[in-house]
Amino acid sequence: MTELIESLLRGLGTGSVYALLALGFVIIYKATRVISFAQPAFMLAGVVAVTYLSPAVGFWAAVPLAAAGTGLLALGVERTAVRPMVGRPAFVVAIITLGVDVAVRVVVNAFIGLDVRHVGDPWQLRTLPLGPVQMQQRHAAAVVAAALLVAALFAFFRFTRTGLAMRAAALDQEAALAHGVSVGAVFAISWALAGGLAAVAGTFAAAGGSVDGGLWLVALTALPVIILGGLDSLPGAVIGGLAVGVLQELVATYANDVAWLGGNISVITPYVLMLVVLLVRPYGLFGTREVERV
Amino acid sequence: MGRPTSRIALGAALILLAGVLTACRGGDTTTDASGLKTDVGVTSEPCPEAVDKNKGCIYLGIISDLTEGPFRALAVPITDAQKAFWKRVNTAGGIGDYEVDVTRYVRDNKYNPQTHNQVYQEIKPNVLALAQSLGSPTTGAILADMKASNVIAAPAAWTSAYAFEDVIVESGANYCIESMNALDYAREAYAPKSVMAVHLAGDYGDDAAAGVKLAAQALGLTFTDVKTDSGADKQAGAIQAILTGRPDLVVLTMGPADAATIVGQAVARGFAGRFIGTSPTWNPALLQSPAAPALLARYEQTAPWNTWSSDTQGHRALREALPGVTPNDGYTAGWVWSYPMRAALTKAVADGDLTRAGLLKAVTSLTSVDYEGMLPATAGNYAAGPNDGAVRVTAVYKPDKASPTGVSQVRDLFTGPTAQAYRLDAPCYEKL
Repeated sequence: MTELIESLLRGLGTGSVYALLALGFVIIYKATRVISFAQPAFMLAGVVAVTYLSPAVGFWAAVPLAAAGTGLLALGVERTAVRPMVGRPAFVVAIITLGVDVAVRVVVNAFIGLDVRHVGDPWQLRTLPLGPVQMQQRHAAAVVAAALLVAALFAFFRFTRTGLAMRAAALDQEAALAHGVSVGAVFAISWALAGGLAAVAGTFAAAGGSVDGGLWLVALTALPVIILGGLDSLPGAVIGGLAVGVLQELVATYANDVAWLGGNISVITPYVLMLVVLLVRPYGLFGTREVERV
Repeated sequence: MGRPTSRIALGAALILLAGVLTACRGGDTTTDASGLKTDVGVTSEPCPEAVDKNKGCIYLGIISDLTEGPFRALAVPITDAQKAFWKRVNTAGGIGDYEVDVTRYVRDNKYNPQTHNQVYQEIKPNVLALAQSLGSPTTGAILADMKASNVIAAPAAWTSAYAFEDVIVESGANYCIESMNALDYAREAYAPKSVMAVHLAGDYGDDAAAGVKLAAQALGLTFTDVKTDSGADKQAGAIQAILTGRPDLVVLTMGPADAATIVGQAVARGFAGRFIGTSPTWNPALLQSPAAPALLARYEQTAPWNTWSSDTQGHRALREALPGVTPNDGYTAGWVWSYPMRAALTKAVADGDLTRAGLLKAVTSLTSVDYEGMLPATAGNYAAGPNDGAVRVTAVYKPDKASPTGVSQVRDLFTGPTAQAYRLDAPCYEKL
């Protein structure tokens, strides 16, 4: 029983990282109808920025600074590489984001240098006793950070004029434009928000471990998460992220070795779960069902 | 009707001719003024950075993991050390009437077999041999072509398969023998009853795991095999396997970041056993990682030769050739790996045949290589065949914050009884 609860807690920790990453994808998708494949690069850029800032200004100041910096980077990419493509097929823009991803990662890799780097988080590998079970502090911190950020995001979309404008643009760009909403600003804000979220997610993905050039691969797990939760659903991203994290940990704990599939089955679980959900609900668990007349 | 057909025939003939010319390019054997036969990658013009402009140039290629692959932390210093090694050779008078260039044909493989093959094909018409071919799976991608073209290479990898390949001039104990020595050492140091090999798949990780398995069988230990993937987010399964299996000893064969994740988290979750990592698993930066306390307490490192700061003629020459660098055993490895290539080139020149075939013949007739004390005097006996020629020494190190390379010696180069008795009759990974 202890093992089960500890697996669930670990799963919530990694799931929180997936949720933050997935939120970035969904925010961009809702605003622009494009899946941005540049998110992994922004995550890596953010976490590498934290590794540089952390020794100078401390971890707590480094994270918001890096998140802001990555947000600005994402904003710059949106203005220079994506904005000129407005009106072109979403597929073309998605391919451009792939190119941006590769380009940004090449630059960031140069900053990683030869040795592995560290974010300097205060939790390291220490544990938090919760009665008879142990939870790693970094997992608890990831859950708390994700909860705070999700609450802030929902409040932003619900209670601010900019949030309202973003929701309006997501619903119908032309109608929003006609009512005076600056759709360009909405695009820019979504990219910046997604960049900031990716930086925070990357920091928690690297907390307790090391940063090397391969860390960006973590962000790819957000793809099955968003398909699972529904491409245009913010609650779907959060619930999908947590579900994938928990399932992955449960599989790693209880069924990681299947004779005919070999070890490390937990690595493919998000994709299997995605396939199963797609068979039942093609628009994901919380995605908008689209009706097209032919 | 006739004209298009004749155009197609003409086009086909031109393509064929181009193919024939390309195939022949650089393949002609010539004899220089001193009667030395040469073919590809050897010119009478001096090297681009020649010490003596009157000497000709032997071009050797380097294919390494220089930018974004998982072993770049080792690969970049390996490459720098090799450049320094050959500069020292050139300064000391070169090889016969030639100097050696390893700077002109340096390519990045990104640790990708396809890229490795692509850049190999690119530089192949211009180089006599490869001063470095980094990685087991990557070198595997060009091995057939190397054999067909008599291109020899100094590998930057230690798979036991290389003992069976004439075109590979390997140095030091392979992963398989190293793992056997690791177990021999562990038995003496803390008498484990069970051992688990956690490793990447392929002939890198599998080779080390096979060594662990064979040694465990010989020593009567319980053996478990756990394969894992590269990536800090992909170690949950391996960590769980360690926590469930509770072996006394875990032997790790993977990149440094993955190793730190496994050691750090397994210990944080209550694992009480010990770890030994095979050579490429270590990076001094891990001492700054959250896993550092666990590494300092539970982790040891095997190595096929002694560390940077050791006191041998070769180590001293290495330090003199690379003043001011941050000490790293990538430098040591690159330096050691270059000795047999120097011996082979010297032998080929002495035999009067510096063609690719002549160099290969020189390699297969080498009975010893002067490693300037970095390896035992018996090392480098390529003529003796895989089993008798295999180097079987390993050193053991432990993490140490006070040491320049982050490790200090626990045991000097030794050959354990299991490694000594093992008969290397096939690549070890085939026995996993």
